[in-house]
Amino acid sequence: MSETVNPQQWLQEHGDYLYRYAMSRLHNEDLASDMLQETLLAAWKGHRNFKGDSTIRTWLIGILKHKIIDHIRKEIRNRNLSDAIEHDPTSAYFDSDGSWSEAPRAWKENPEDLCRSGQFHGVLDSCIDKLPEKQRLVFRMRELSNDDTETVCKACDVTSTHLHVLLHRARLGLRKCLEIKWFGKDERS
Amino acid sequence: MKHACRQATKLASDALDRRLTAWELLSLRFHLLLCSNCRQCDKSMKIIHETAELIRHSQYGDLKLSDEQRRHLLEVLDKEAHC
Repeated sequence: MSETVNPQQWLQEHGDYLYRYAMSRLHNEDLASDMLQETLLAAWKGHRNFKGDSTIRTWLIGILKHKIIDHIRKEIRNRNLSDAIEHDPTSAYFDSDGSWSEAPRAWKENPEDLCRSGQFHGVLDSCIDKLPEKQRLVFRMRELSNDDTETVCKACDVTSTHLHVLLHRARLGLRKCLEIKWFGKDERS
Repeated sequence: MKHACRQATKLASDALDRRLTAWELLSLRFHLLLCSNCRQCDKSMKIIHETAELIRHSQYGDLKLSDEQRRHLLEVLDKEAHC
């Protein structure tokens, strides 16, 4: 047990892995590095809590995950994001009887090609940035960081029912934006 | 039938995040069978979902701490460890 209590060694062995985890959630180098620092210090101070029933890496990731959730919760509180009056795009896409007001187009490209296109990454980013803040946050956590429902709900302080509503709105908003900015080009060319 | 499009896209979105009940799945499949607009939308949401997954795996795969970040973290840890 005692040979594992060495934060410098943790940094050496797990630093890059933890950093990648933090970056995939925070997309900000300074912030990810700060979270890593806090994690290693918290682990160092609380190493007696490490029971040895998981690997050091799993234990460290657990601490980092909590730090990131706390950070996101704080961000949301600071910015005072209202979850009630977020824009509901579904009303713009459907007629009052609930049918499509404008027919969705066929998307011909496949995910592999889209992922390889740097230009598409840029368009996707700009479309995500256009989403209302809370929709953007849950979409990023769920789709780009692959956080599970429970984690997203905890970080954003929403029920799973509300989360699914936000994700539905985000996906429809994104679909519309991508159709205009990316997939619409097919027909013009 | 048509009035169900909004609800069908909600179920199609939910299916990416949770297990639908048997009844939900049945009504979604039935709707998609008859509605090409919702089929298209369902396909688009899946393309976004799968592309995001591929981007996720490629984006930070090779990322490492820079020497400067590593040096800074070591400094902080050394200082704390000697307190």
